[in-house]
Amino acid sequence: MTAALQIALLALVVAAAAATAVLRSVLSAVVAFGAYSLSIAIIWVFLRAPDVGLTEAAVGAGVMTVLFLLTIVKTDSPTVERTFEQIDLRAAAVALALVLALSSTVFALPAVGDAGSPVATDDVTSYYLDSAYEETHVENVVTAVLAAYRGFDTMGEAVVVYSAGVGLLVVLNREVFG
Amino acid sequence: MSDAPETVGVSSYVGSPIIMATVRVVMPFVFTFGLFVMFHGADSSGGGFQGGVIVGTVVLMLGIAFGIGATRDWIGPRLPVALVGIGVLAFLFTGFGSVLLGAGFLEYSVYHDLGIPHATKYGIEFVELAIGVIVAGIVTGLFFSIAAGVGGERE
Repeated sequence: MTAALQIALLALVVAAAAATAVLRSVLSAVVAFGAYSLSIAIIWVFLRAPDVGLTEAAVGAGVMTVLFLLTIVKTDSPTVERTFEQIDLRAAAVALALVLALSSTVFALPAVGDAGSPVATDDVTSYYLDSAYEETHVENVVTAVLAAYRGFDTMGEAVVVYSAGVGLLVVLNREVFG
Repeated sequence: MSDAPETVGVSSYVGSPIIMATVRVVMPFVFTFGLFVMFHGADSSGGGFQGGVIVGTVVLMLGIAFGIGATRDWIGPRLPVALVGIGVLAFLFTGFGSVLLGAGFLEYSVYHDLGIPHATKYGIEFVELAIGVIVAGIVTGLFFSIAAGVGGERE
């Protein structure tokens, strides 16, 4: 049952990604991209990564779709006389070759949930799982690692978000109001 | 922009009773859920980043339902940027505060000396809250900036 659902979700992700690439209308492409983000968020939940799934659903499917929609309102969209983009066969061949080359690394990954995978047996992982609650009094080990053990990294990320956001706001506001 | 009065933009906002009523009903729940994800990130999935985005989404919903210009006038141009700055400063002060108390950078347990119970836990919660404030401010600020100027809208 779960396997069938996962295969259906994967098919949906691939179909939505392909639709995003080939649809000629930008609006349709944005909608397809939202569907792609939402289905990949559900896949994250299936893979026991609810933190990532929540981020993908909120940012990828929610906020990004709205920002894309606002952006395409500002651009001149081409008149849509056909549904699909004419596919450049050479570009498609390059993209396919890249996908195949990257897919060759998939076989090197451990199986999902494999107890003997290096990630699960590593000393660092077992240290976090054993002592995270005692040392941080936090039940979610992901949060403990992010905010306590690697708090300095997270602070750097917060500063990156701050600088990127403020930089963008300055540029956009100058363009609009300046 | 100015020579295209027919542009279907954000300025050509048409109030839809269905969207307005839906947003009115859904908004408190989304806001509460965002705060829950932000505050509860220590014990369940989620955290400041996800919760901040969800809280920021509330402003996006308000903008879509009641007009982006009206929402921006209501919130004001400075509040999102101020929130971002406050969040970063709160994070930095948490880090340097523990140094001032004689421990390492971001070593939350030292705040126990100030009488805070479960200092590490609440330190993590505080930092998550700061991250949430940063992300929510950036999301709303980007939304207003990208939406501004659509269809010749000027302030």
